[in-house]
Amino acid sequence: MNRAISAIVKKDMREITANRQLLFTIVIVPVVLTLVVPSVFLLTAHFAPEDANDLQELMKLMPGNVQNIGMEELMVGLLFDNILPLFFLIIPIMAASVMAASSFVGEREQSTLETLLYSPLTVKQLFYAKVLAAFLMSMLVSWISFLVMLLGVGLESYVLTGAVLHPGISWLPVMLLLSPAVSLIAITLIVRGSAKAQNVMEAQQKAAFLVLPVVLLLAGQFVGLMLINAWMLVGLSVVLGLLAWFLLRSSLGKFCGEMLLSGR
Amino acid sequence: MNAVVMNHLSKKYSGGKAAIADMSLTLEPGEVFGFLGPNGAGKTTTVKVLNGMLQPTGGECLIFGENPSNRPEKVHAISGVMTEHAQMYNHLTGLENLIFYGAVFGIGEEESRKRAQELLWQLELSDAWEQKLSAYSTGMRQRLSIARALMHRPKILFLDEPTSGLDPESAHNVNQMIRNLAKDKGMTIFLCTHQLRYAQEICTRYGLIDEGRLLVEGTLEQLRAGMGSGMKLRIRTDRLPDSIAGYTDADKNEKNRGEASGSRERQGAYDIELAIKSEEEIPRIVSRIVQGGGNIYHVSAKRPSLEDIYFSLTAERR
Ligand SMILES: Nc1ncnc2c1ncn2[C@@H]1O[C@H](COP(=O)(O)OP(=O)(O)OP(=O)(O)O)[C@@H](O)[C@H]1O
Ligand SMILES: [Mg+2]
Repeated sequence: MNRAISAIVKKDMREITANRQLLFTIVIVPVVLTLVVPSVFLLTAHFAPEDANDLQELMKLMPGNVQNIGMEELMVGLLFDNILPLFFLIIPIMAASVMAASSFVGEREQSTLETLLYSPLTVKQLFYAKVLAAFLMSMLVSWISFLVMLLGVGLESYVLTGAVLHPGISWLPVMLLLSPAVSLIAITLIVRGSAKAQNVMEAQQKAAFLVLPVVLLLAGQFVGLMLINAWMLVGLSVVLGLLAWFLLRSSLGKFCGEMLLSGR
Repeated sequence: MNAVVMNHLSKKYSGGKAAIADMSLTLEPGEVFGFLGPNGAGKTTTVKVLNGMLQPTGGECLIFGENPSNRPEKVHAISGVMTEHAQMYNHLTGLENLIFYGAVFGIGEEESRKRAQELLWQLELSDAWEQKLSAYSTGMRQRLSIARALMHRPKILFLDEPTSGLDPESAHNVNQMIRNLAKDKGMTIFLCTHQLRYAQEICTRYGLIDEGRLLVEGTLEQLRAGMGSGMKLRIRTDRLPDSIAGYTDADKNEKNRGEASGSRERQGAYDIELAIKSEEEIPRIVSRIVQGGGNIYHVSAKRPSLEDIYFSLTAERR
């Protein structure tokens, strides 16, 4: 049944990317977070260093050894290793939320859900396909954004300060573990919401006002850890990954065709 | 193995109304079963229960031995379903839609494309396969849905009002196709329809339901027999012997008597319809008129159509 699942994944991706408006909403968040915000930050740091008393204060809080590095270089490092990773908890969720929110209720509104349910896929497989489609989408956007950001920030910092950017080790657990885990949790919750929603609007509101804050709060708890230790980050990512897995497993058994069709 | 078995099947919606009530019915493979009944009788609900879209609230059903309420995916692998609420994607072309549903049924792209093109050709959609579905008319959508339901070459085909939005030519074509599927491929067809004339052309057996209950089922002959022949003899003559006039009286058929006397007043000719029990009565009646000195201009015997049977059965219930 892999052919069926991949057909649904492809169809869902195509549905989003073929719609310019939806594509725009997916692209705009990563562009702002990985290009606009860092650029503004870097330019401000470069052209107005004297006014940055607050930053000098912040520097004093840093461990002793970093205080010797040049001020601007330090700021770039601070931005790149401690603030930008946080964005990669937001980007994948934002990228996939439209797709995840419309996953079931969108099909129901188009009257195509019943047709899909007449397929030889089980409801579990269908649910899995829907989560997979949104998850792959989120990871795709996340990785492209990462590469774009690496190039953009690296280039800017090189031009402005002459320093070559060295991404910190904590990026590895963030991109490979933490971001996928958080994203999978959010997507599973949003797809579940979509299966129970009466219309796409409701599903999107649920996603925006319930799932997103909860997930970000959860993830936010661990951001401080990025300052501390990459291994701690790995451990917490694994915990979140397991949580995501159990959440997905439990959601798979929750629905039957009749419930999906009526949205209750 | 039976194609469909319903055993005291019931479905009550959470609203409380019984949409199917204690229905028992068996279909053999290769039958074209006409499932008839007025609006809200429970036809669509039955199709949905038989395909596991709804859970029965009583009894059970089997499709080629598989229980749709436990393993709907097993049933779906061998059944094709076309209902009004099972639509396709507007942003894809007709061909892309069919290839997508082919893939959902595990069929490779090349094979899907081949089957799709063949079906589109059969359903006279060849000119439209590059068009997005959003540009399709109602009738075109409906025909594409039939093609979609046939992509995986099902053993049993459920059609809910397949011809209701079609122009007469397309409807005729679709009916021909349904008949051939049953005849050449041995496909079992479960056909819900209001178009009784078309049904009579293609169905081998019928079930009439109302308010979720199966009122009668059987072949056309069996349904006619159930009505006591119901044969009607129409005669046009210029003279009606009393014995024949008495015949209509004896039959207590108010309408016929009215017509007979009506036409006498207007034109001095009789155009009467007599209810008879068998063909054997026709020569006796004709010879009696002729012996009475009458000229006969028209004699025809009509057996009740499906429509006649439908109306008399539903009228009985009102
Ligand atoms: N989702 C639902 N919830 C509650 N009642 C329903 C639902 N769907 C149908 N019904 C009721 O069940 C009964 C049977 O409906 P169904 O759609 O099966 O009729 P039908 O024979 O297909 O009619 P039609 O010829 O109009 O298509 C009707 O009384 C209808 O009001
Ligand atoms: Mg119906």
